[in-house]
Amino acid sequence: MAGNEEGVRPTGTGRSEAAIARLKRSFAAQNFVLVVLFFLLLFMMPFAPGFKGWMAGQAALVIIYIMAAQGVSILTGYTGLVSVGHGGFLAIGAYTAALLTKYFAIDLALGVLAGGAMAGFVGMVMGLIFLRLAGPFMAIGTLGFAFFVGAVVNNVPLFEGRDGISLAPNRIFGMQIDDVGFYYVCLGFFALVTLFVFSLVRSGVGRALKALRDSEKAAQSSGVNRLFYRTLAFTISATITGAAGALNGLIAHYVSAEVYSDIWYSVDILVAAVVGGSAMLMGPIVGGAFVALLPFFLETLADFSFILKGVVLIAVLMFAPAGICEVIARPFRAYRRRRLERAAQGERGPERPAPPVAMVRKEANP
Amino acid sequence: MASHLRCEQILVRFGGVVACDKVSLDVEEGKIVGLIGPNGAGKTTLFNVLTRFQAHDAGHVYYRGELIDRKRPHEMVLMGMARTFQNINLFGEQSTLDNILIGAHRLTGSPIANMYSLPGSRRRERELARRAGEIAEMLRLSGQLDTAVKHLPYGFQKRVEIARALASEPRLILLDEPVAGCNDEETAELREVVKRINRELGVTVLMVEHDMSMVMNCCEHIYVVNFGANLAQGSPAEIRANPSVISAYLGQEVEA
Ligand SMILES: Nc1ncnc2c1ncn2[C@@H]1O[C@H](COP(=O)(O)OP(=O)(O)OP(=O)(O)O)[C@@H](O)[C@H]1O
Ligand SMILES: [Mg+2]
Repeated sequence: MAGNEEGVRPTGTGRSEAAIARLKRSFAAQNFVLVVLFFLLLFMMPFAPGFKGWMAGQAALVIIYIMAAQGVSILTGYTGLVSVGHGGFLAIGAYTAALLTKYFAIDLALGVLAGGAMAGFVGMVMGLIFLRLAGPFMAIGTLGFAFFVGAVVNNVPLFEGRDGISLAPNRIFGMQIDDVGFYYVCLGFFALVTLFVFSLVRSGVGRALKALRDSEKAAQSSGVNRLFYRTLAFTISATITGAAGALNGLIAHYVSAEVYSDIWYSVDILVAAVVGGSAMLMGPIVGGAFVALLPFFLETLADFSFILKGVVLIAVLMFAPAGICEVIARPFRAYRRRRLERAAQGERGPERPAPPVAMVRKEANP
Repeated sequence: MASHLRCEQILVRFGGVVACDKVSLDVEEGKIVGLIGPNGAGKTTLFNVLTRFQAHDAGHVYYRGELIDRKRPHEMVLMGMARTFQNINLFGEQSTLDNILIGAHRLTGSPIANMYSLPGSRRRERELARRAGEIAEMLRLSGQLDTAVKHLPYGFQKRVEIARALASEPRLILLDEPVAGCNDEETAELREVVKRINRELGVTVLMVEHDMSMVMNCCEHIYVVNFGANLAQGSPAEIRANPSVISAYLGQEVEA
């Protein structure tokens, strides 16, 4: 279709098309307002009485969990690849930031960026290595990666094993910050990541990832380069989780192999992504908050949270495989779709009756 | 006229089955060419070879004279080739509009720049959506743009596939049984669509089809394959009069 214009009939249904465009714009605006309100709420939280010290630190940890889950969701939700080893990227982010802070006394913000970048680079390499793996093999491969990272931080002297690396108080742009300050740093990165994911999944890149997820064959026949986009998804996913890891290390002023060789981290952030619904912006936010807050609600039964997480995961996979948020959003989406359909048909009159489906021939191969 | 897509002596074996047995064909630029033959003759397999979804055991494929034996499927789209599948292969959960937009993938520009939805990429997105609307209009899908394609009737889904293929602005399109399962009215409509794609957009068409009214009416040149091998080629009139084609295929398929 090089001579694109001449062949196509002029669009004679301008009015309904304008109505549809208006509807879509208003839906997008509603979404955006909701996200802004949500962040405004988080921004106001420190003004609540009692929000300081320990409380601020816990709130920051919840945000870190959510960011880690957002990283996972790029792979599981939008690209359809399951990673059981994202704890490995969390560790890479944490150690990169910790080592740079210890030996070069770099700024907190730089440490987070460096942690994300290093994890992203390793993610790119992993993406290339795992390229031919699919389904369960991918899960096993990523699990192996997390174990490998755990073994490295346990045994390579640079990482100081179970003794761990202790760090000086955090400084950002030269200022020393307290717990509330760190909360705001986390919130800032969280907002950046959310904005980025929001933009990514609506862009041509997001479309290509979802196409690969839904049908590799159809995606390739549309010109999507499977190798490139899978690797890109791995890179982005690892970068986000790595940045979360850097924050996780710096908030505690301490990283040790005891924490980061723990495979439960990987499982936790995967559960966080899947339970909430990893193909939705809200999914990892709800799921991450759930996984991070669960131990608090159980208080003395905190160990019980492992079991409860497992039960919730299985229940979600059985009854709402697309996640809790998808179930909540379903009626709203249906309502919007109905309004769009009505707008589309409003000016056009009724569609002609659907053709019979009975004549479909069954074929042996595509 | 120049050769648009050519293959020579293509051989494909699936274990003991020889799906393509030294098939050759040459699709001239700007024409509508048909590929017919009995069930299991290897037409779809040959399509998969031409679009690089299937590796061949011997022979060569040329696109505008360039050897493409080692290209990957998505590279063929970048070179201007698009296809549809015999068994519909859509993104079922996604809307008609999104399906068409994925077809336009090669026009979306640099992915690294796109991720951030900067003004430039947003402008391009709007332009792509506008063009997707035009393609939908052409295939009478305008009322279904926001419907998930899995909810659409079969005939609509077939048209979404063609729309998606057209969205890449191809110079050559390969259609695997575009009217299979469609009723007479839909068949007549798709016949006009195929002709318009060819005449107005200047796209070369290679089409596998069992519906003889469609093939004889649209195609300027027809290749007949049987048991994976070339049986005959020629104009519709020549094919209809060819005794070996009649005994191998036409006689049993349709009284043309
Ligand atoms: N992936 C495969 N593995 C094994 N055999 C296959 C495969 N694909 C096709 N075949 C066999 O190759 C032969 C050619 O099949 P193909 O689908 O290409 O025929 P066709 O001409 O498209 O038939 P139809 O008109 O029914 O679509 C058949 O005998 C088929 O069973
Ligand atoms: Mg076939």
